[in-house]
Amino acid sequence: MLNITKIKADFPIFKNHPELIYLDNAATSQKPQIVIDRITKFYSNENANVHRGVYPLSEEASEAYDEARQKVASFIGARTNREIIFTKGTTESLNLVAQSYALNNLKKDDEVLVTDFEHHSNFLPWQNVCQKTGAILKILNSDEKGFISDEEWQKKLNKKTKIVAIAHASNVLGTISDIKKIAELVHGVDAVLVVDGAQAIPHLQVDVQNLDCDFYAFSGHKMLGPMGIGVLYVKEEILAKMVPYQLGGGMIESVSLDDVIFADYPEKFEAGTPNVAGAIALTSAMDYLLATGLEEIRKHEILLSEFLLAGLAKIEKVRIFGSASANERTGLVSFYVEGVHAHDLSDYLAKRGLALRAGFHCAMPLHQSRACGATLRASYYLYNSEKDLEFLLTSLEEAISYYG
Amino acid sequence: MDDLYRSELMEVYKDPTHRGHLSNPSIALEKQNAFCGDHLHLSLKIKNNIIEDAKFDGEMCFVSIIGADFLIEEIIGKTIEEAKKIDQKKLLELIDLNLTTSRIACATLTLKALQEALNKYEK
Ligand SMILES: Cc1ncc(COP(=O)(O)O)c(C=O)c1O
Repeated sequence: MLNITKIKADFPIFKNHPELIYLDNAATSQKPQIVIDRITKFYSNENANVHRGVYPLSEEASEAYDEARQKVASFIGARTNREIIFTKGTTESLNLVAQSYALNNLKKDDEVLVTDFEHHSNFLPWQNVCQKTGAILKILNSDEKGFISDEEWQKKLNKKTKIVAIAHASNVLGTISDIKKIAELVHGVDAVLVVDGAQAIPHLQVDVQNLDCDFYAFSGHKMLGPMGIGVLYVKEEILAKMVPYQLGGGMIESVSLDDVIFADYPEKFEAGTPNVAGAIALTSAMDYLLATGLEEIRKHEILLSEFLLAGLAKIEKVRIFGSASANERTGLVSFYVEGVHAHDLSDYLAKRGLALRAGFHCAMPLHQSRACGATLRASYYLYNSEKDLEFLLTSLEEAISYYG
Repeated sequence: MDDLYRSELMEVYKDPTHRGHLSNPSIALEKQNAFCGDHLHLSLKIKNNIIEDAKFDGEMCFVSIIGADFLIEEIIGKTIEEAKKIDQKKLLELIDLNLTTSRIACATLTLKALQEALNKYEK
């Protein structure tokens, strides 16, 4: 069992906002003191640019950055730290795959498959490369729970498929996809599998070798780390098929007036001064999660999901968006209330200190395909308690009668 | 807890005076709020340059319903020129709600639709 009181005390935001009930973790998580301290320590004691100076401070910063890469590699089970590219977040990671891999490997009439529940950042980059290359973008339609059925795979996946891009967990339905099984299907037609892990890695133990995906993208800020740091994991054999799309300092071996030799990967894909403090502080967040216990966190979230799903089901007029069970989803539930606008509800709830998200959650196609207007999303994490959700449920009932 | 909105606004929200569709409108149009996907239908009856009647309808939030009802109340009986002079600032004064930036788009949805409709009508 997690000790929520103790955990909460590690997050200064709750001291500074005692009324806050933070249920927007799928948008970004709060930060524990050790992550904040790590950033301060870097800029107070260790700040220098990496891979530039030969003086001690720069060498130490370079070493710390390399060490961060190694820690991230072991956190996700990569074979080597060469498979870890630091980015500013999931969005940049996915755009990097699209621009550096897809653009150079797709031909006219090749097919790219994405699901109907993708976040815009795992949809628009594919729409864009398909427009540029003449490849065809096909949509995998999910079932009521948010899974892609076997028939749907059979219907859409074929020899023409070159890339499949899917969220490990949906940011609206919460549903966790079986990536290992999907990787087998995708590799069966010699396509590559790109996984958007933004909503999964904060909640699940991710082992990229076991999942056998080719790319895995995630953001630090949703897993207790700082904003502005993210990761793209790329299976080593694929790195050789990628060309950098951002050019500049830090990614070259030699440059002449009419030629350039790029540095080896992963540096080749990290043009410019990287977010060194962010990368190091991200590993502090990983340390914090590991010390708390990933399995314990997951168990806690499942209990919260069960509690919330049961509570929402009891309120008349509430409709839960997506029917995945507590075990099949990460720590979030989206829902709407018949006859009351999601933004009106969230205004009311905000007044009571409840922070949750209303809208389309950057997944407009999903709301369209399910003919649904804006939804409310409650997303919780290790510092949330059943009491938070109980307060949400009673406030929600009050809000419904206020507008009703 | 303080009520979120003034009670007279709550009454307007629950039973807006100007909700509906005009049967023989001089002009009608649909508008969407990109932020939340809300749909608005606005119809106007104009005679001798005067807005004789107007109605709105659609799937809308509290703020956009208040914005619509207050705006229509304001423009009925006015000339096209007078109605065109109503801007965002004026409308926000009329409804007198404490709005965040994202909700201003809700409040002014009908205003944007009105301006579009009047421009179209004059062509
Ligand atoms: C499923 C999913 N993919 C991608 C993103 C984009 O992440 P970021 O904004 O950190 O780049 C998010 C975050 O909202 C997400 O939930």
